[in-house]
Amino acid sequence: MDVRALILIGGRSETPGYERMGGVPFALLDVLGEPVIGRVLKHLERVGVISASVVSEVDPATAPLARGSLRPDLKWTHDEGPQFWRAAEVAFSDLAQTGAELILVVRIGPYAELDYEELIQCHLDRHNRVSSACDSDGNPLDAYVITASRRNDAAFLFRHELREFRDDPIQCKLHGYVNRLENAADFRRLALDAFGGKASFKPIGTEIKPGVWTGEGAHIHKSARVLAPAFLGAHSRVRAMSVLTRGTVVEHHSLIDCGTVIENSSILPQTSIGAALDVAHSVVGLRRIANLRRKVEVEIVDEKLISTVSSAPIRALSSALGLVMYLPRVFARGLISKDSDAQPATLPEAINAHSAALKSTKLEDGAPAQREFSPNLIAARRYGNE
Amino acid sequence: METSRPVIVMRVPERVNLKQARSFLREVKPLLVADRPQVVFDLSQVKQLDVTGVDMLLHCMAEAAKRDGDVKLAALSPQSAVVLELTRTDRLFEIYETSTDAVRSFSSFMPNVLKQFYPHVHQGADAIAFPSQPAANPAALEDEEAA
Repeated sequence: MDVRALILIGGRSETPGYERMGGVPFALLDVLGEPVIGRVLKHLERVGVISASVVSEVDPATAPLARGSLRPDLKWTHDEGPQFWRAAEVAFSDLAQTGAELILVVRIGPYAELDYEELIQCHLDRHNRVSSACDSDGNPLDAYVITASRRNDAAFLFRHELREFRDDPIQCKLHGYVNRLENAADFRRLALDAFGGKASFKPIGTEIKPGVWTGEGAHIHKSARVLAPAFLGAHSRVRAMSVLTRGTVVEHHSLIDCGTVIENSSILPQTSIGAALDVAHSVVGLRRIANLRRKVEVEIVDEKLISTVSSAPIRALSSALGLVMYLPRVFARGLISKDSDAQPATLPEAINAHSAALKSTKLEDGAPAQREFSPNLIAARRYGNE
Repeated sequence: METSRPVIVMRVPERVNLKQARSFLREVKPLLVADRPQVVFDLSQVKQLDVTGVDMLLHCMAEAAKRDGDVKLAALSPQSAVVLELTRTDRLFEIYETSTDAVRSFSSFMPNVLKQFYPHVHQGADAIAFPSQPAANPAALEDEEAA
């Protein structure tokens, strides 16, 4: 029997950040080295569904997908708003016309590791036009099997955004791991569930020590600490004195700068995290940070904090240009500038010195601070009218 | 315990980048050079805060501290809260839900940070029972090590 898949990405826009981050659906974002849609397609391949079409609300070129993670033979269509469902209808017709007998419609949306063979068998046994998968509580999982010749049933379903059926559908209860992927917290939980073995997929990379996986070309500075479980994607870099802990995920081509602590967070592909920052309980990427404790998603415009790593040719050009500009500048500075400020030699001097960041914004008249307290006093505060 | 010195509440602008931070600092400067300045920054309107803005807040705190005053933050917007947490500066300031709470805190004896460790004191007990062991005394520690 010829069974093909129609994957729908998006199609729900109840609230602005629903099922997406920074405008990119979670289905197109990497989890432990591979995008969610890639993992769904692999799961379908295991049950023999090889041919698939994808209809997406977002152009996949806008998402920083892992290189080569998706099959090149996939037929992609992208359309927004009401046209999305029209495109789904057209894609269904195309699959039916090219000889498919059954079409498995999966919306991501939710990530579900279901036994699709069981769903197809359930559909065939009951001779229905449309069968719907639901979890053990009867909640729909946005996975359907539709007989390819029943285009009107499919069209009705798509025109009602998978919420209404032309006839009463058969609901097949399936068991397996399900993550609704409604928000950043669900997205983060998917990675943790994979680390914990609840979800069946594994990180893409080599396990360099128990619970720590690294992709090809990942580089960890010898003074950085990476505590298991953790994942570092291909060509990611962790610089000196950084700490990665509590299930941190750093996707491909990302950079963690010196002294930054990443705790219980996911760093999306091609994201650069600045130096000496504290990223905790967050999903970071696409110049945004979704804080899971505060339940907010915030755009970060300051590139010293969070920025996007550009593609390899632009990076190489930028590095070369930077070097060309840097050497003459240093040479000229060495010739004409005065001696730099002397570094404090002792700890008390260093404590009393102005910080580099504040040196230009002095409000003082220049009078040196008088030591009026005993050397044993660490801090003093006054409140009220003493 | 009441205070006769004024507490000044300043609303931080919506965007705090280099230009805005400088102009805001010019506005705040006269307040910070007073004796023991008591300033509250209301960050409820802040939509965009960058490193310069954080630096500006730290600078204000440093200047106030030099004159034995204090700068407190109130009504943090989600954007400002996330950036302060990211840059580890949230732990340096006393932060309050509202400007009113922040203003009131200047006239209370204990700073907000201590109240969570000594809730019984905050509830109205007159006698303050601090732990018998001092938190840190470098001289005593040195003596112990020498012994």
